[in-house]
Amino acid sequence: MNSAIQRLTSLADAEDRFDYSHEELRETQLLAVDERFQERKERIKLLGHRAREAGVTAIRTYEDLVPLLFPHTAYKSYPESFLVEEKWDRLGKWLGTVSPHPISPIDTADITGIDDWIARLHATGHHVTCTSGTTGKPAMLLSSDRDLDWSRRDAVAVFAWGSGVPPEQDRRMAGLGASATAPRNTAIGNALLAAYADPAKPRLGLPIPPITVGSMTTMIALRKKVADGTADPQQLADYERTSRERQETMDKALVVGAEMLVQHRDEKLYLSGMWAILYQVAKIVRDMGFSAADFHPENCLYVGGGLKGAQLPSDYEEFINQTFNLSDDGKFQMYSMQELNSGMPKCRKGNRYHVPPWVVPLILDESGETLLPHGSGEIEGRAAFFDLSLDGRWGGVISGDKIALDLGPCACGSKGPSIRDDIARYTEIKGDDKIACSGTVDAYVRGLA
Amino acid sequence: MTATADSKTAESTVSAPFFLRGELLEGHDVSQRSRDLGVTFTTPRIPMNRLVHPRGEVPPLLDVPLTEIIDFLAETGRRLADPGNGFMADCLDRMSATHPLPRAMLRAQVEDAAAYLDKRLLWAVVEQNFPDPRVLDEWVPKQDFTGRKSFVRAFPPRLIHVLPGNAPGTAARCIAQAALVKAVNLFKMPSSDPFTTVAILRTMAEIDPGHPIVRSMSAVYWRGGDETIERVLYRPQYFDKIVAWGGGDAIDNVIKYLGPGFQLISFDPKTSVSMVGRQAFDSDSALDDAAALAADDVMVLNQEACVASRFIFLEANQEQADRFCVRLHARITGRASASGDARPLDTDLREQIDSLAMLDDEFGVWGRTDGTGLVIRSDQPVDFHPINKTANVVRVDSLDEAVKYVNVATQTVGFYPFDRMATYRDRLASAGAQRIVHLGEAGPSTIGNPHDAMYPLHRFVHWMAHEDGTAPTA
Repeated sequence: MNSAIQRLTSLADAEDRFDYSHEELRETQLLAVDERFQERKERIKLLGHRAREAGVTAIRTYEDLVPLLFPHTAYKSYPESFLVEEKWDRLGKWLGTVSPHPISPIDTADITGIDDWIARLHATGHHVTCTSGTTGKPAMLLSSDRDLDWSRRDAVAVFAWGSGVPPEQDRRMAGLGASATAPRNTAIGNALLAAYADPAKPRLGLPIPPITVGSMTTMIALRKKVADGTADPQQLADYERTSRERQETMDKALVVGAEMLVQHRDEKLYLSGMWAILYQVAKIVRDMGFSAADFHPENCLYVGGGLKGAQLPSDYEEFINQTFNLSDDGKFQMYSMQELNSGMPKCRKGNRYHVPPWVVPLILDESGETLLPHGSGEIEGRAAFFDLSLDGRWGGVISGDKIALDLGPCACGSKGPSIRDDIARYTEIKGDDKIACSGTVDAYVRGLA
Repeated sequence: MTATADSKTAESTVSAPFFLRGELLEGHDVSQRSRDLGVTFTTPRIPMNRLVHPRGEVPPLLDVPLTEIIDFLAETGRRLADPGNGFMADCLDRMSATHPLPRAMLRAQVEDAAAYLDKRLLWAVVEQNFPDPRVLDEWVPKQDFTGRKSFVRAFPPRLIHVLPGNAPGTAARCIAQAALVKAVNLFKMPSSDPFTTVAILRTMAEIDPGHPIVRSMSAVYWRGGDETIERVLYRPQYFDKIVAWGGGDAIDNVIKYLGPGFQLISFDPKTSVSMVGRQAFDSDSALDDAAALAADDVMVLNQEACVASRFIFLEANQEQADRFCVRLHARITGRASASGDARPLDTDLREQIDSLAMLDDEFGVWGRTDGTGLVIRSDQPVDFHPINKTANVVRVDSLDEAVKYVNVATQTVGFYPFDRMATYRDRLASAGAQRIVHLGEAGPSTIGNPHDAMYPLHRFVHWMAHEDGTAPTA
């Protein structure tokens, strides 16, 4: 194998993939990143622009790479009007500036909305995942068929490593949460289902409609109309009603979810969801009079994301364990983000997230402009990654997360780099003590996320 | 009183002393962080009891005549303008560490502040805010048409001022306005400038440390939103009104404390714009003029100010618009480089502008995203907030179309040519705008004119009536 990229990505199936030390990987990783850069710099318009601005023609050091990393916001840098005014050809052109694979024009004349547009791109092999931006426009992340294949394999491997639960098709899956119709999420969900679910036991889910991109953009469009002063009171009243109805549907769905779990309590379950919803369902289960003793001792759990701003009691995790009979084994968390194509599973002994060999972790200063010295021990700062497994877009991304990276071995025995389990978002820790007389109409928009 | 030597341990970080009703309080008890530059500074711990003037005591300035207050402020102005003023020099030294603007611009702000403390100017401010300024000095007798008699007084209020950080000159204005209404004041300083207010108050204390003006003023810093401070102080038992600048978190934090007896007077966060008519293309010199005037408005305080223009609606075709953009860009970069300001753009802003540059069949971008000055041409306003020497020229077929982009957050609209202003002012006011000015004159305003759609001093005071029965009918 001559390609450094192949040497690293071929470790995907290796049992000892988290056991390669930073020193062992460093040189190959730099070669691989440069390999990808040479192959992509003319194909990704934004990358070419960045390289010319920074005067970088080859990546020989981490410092060379830093100006070529895309901030996570690069994937939402399109003008909002393209989305709100449904200018699909313009949005497609923008997408083309971050895509290594040419996006041939599709017929946009009769497109009915963003979900339709995404579906048509999907049919041509360009898979767009939209993040649910809590403020303003969603990021749009392109994946190729190869990326989805990789995610399917990676998701199962990462879960098995992190939870210690072998994929033996012996469980009933129960997804507690609204599913977003995002190609990568769907691919991962289906892969886990195929690997872990007993084909005779259909997946349990909450009776709520999936979150479509269209429903997100409707809200963005309304917010813009409020800001412009063109939203009329009746539109806002309708919006309030829809929000209330959605909340009622959710409240009812949680009760249905709890009843389903109780009904299947003697089966070996694979639960997945976010902490906030898991906690609410657990509370209902307790109120129904059931707890750990009633559930199967080999249940496992896949928790996604942090608390996402939810206010939970400090013992929420223990409460969930004691409801569904979960032990520390069998509980799986990982660190990843939509901007990446690979997961970093949390180990059970060291409580740290492990970075695989094909993902290069970098720690930058808070502003995301300067590389911090990567000597030894823990380095804390803004997380950036280069994911060598990515094909459908550039692998280098600067995140919004503050992490502590250790290049040395973990207490669990793995020698590869790992990340402490107290990841924070800069937007949440920074607060806002900026008071200025200049500002925008955003400060005048109340009551819409 | 000169700045005392900082303790050895705190030498590396700059310290921000407090001013408490005439007395200076130094200390390094709390380590704070300036939000703009992320640098650390230290402050004393806040002695809560010293910030509040008990309601059992009348305000110190109550019986001080306005003439004496204005004389005192004018003397303060003279001392602020004096280059030998050690407090201000020291303040500028410290500020250079925490503030994003270059030192020369900060110095100019001090000069502006000094100029505001002018006798004639301050009188004009009072007269514009109060039809009968005697209400500030005495109980003014009146009688209505039924014969009912009373006395009315603009009684000194107890005010908390949440000061903005972007324009340090504002501190002097706020102090002066607070003194004109004889208020008892607590100034909450901003993290980018926890120095200017105290430096001005120390200059005042040097004139007369026991003067009632000096005894009416306190200035401290806490991190905006700090509940351990705000839950304690934001109460009607201690203060009548909170005068706050800004929006977002800053105002959200304040709003939860409002209630009967504790009111908000808000100077809202604002965006300013320009409107340039097709007359700019009548001649080459007209084009040059319009571009130069537009650049003047964009570059007020290097676009940190609320009056600084961010969107320029231009009545033109694309070819004309591009000619305007070239000249505007030259003017902006010229002024930016003369001011020595090359702060880089925020990553987020840079990303969005780079994206527009790549969509070059629809947008035009002049300049680079490196902090030297930028102009973006588009057919509708960009959806980010242009800041740090960034102008968005929005091409329109008619300025009538531009009116729809004016909203409740629009403060100043700079107009060219000037003779078209009268045609637009009603529609602009209806849309939410607050000022319409000649292009190039976003900064200056007629002394005492309304600010943020109000006469602020009139709202500061505690209007008190003394009803005095009915006059005997003849």
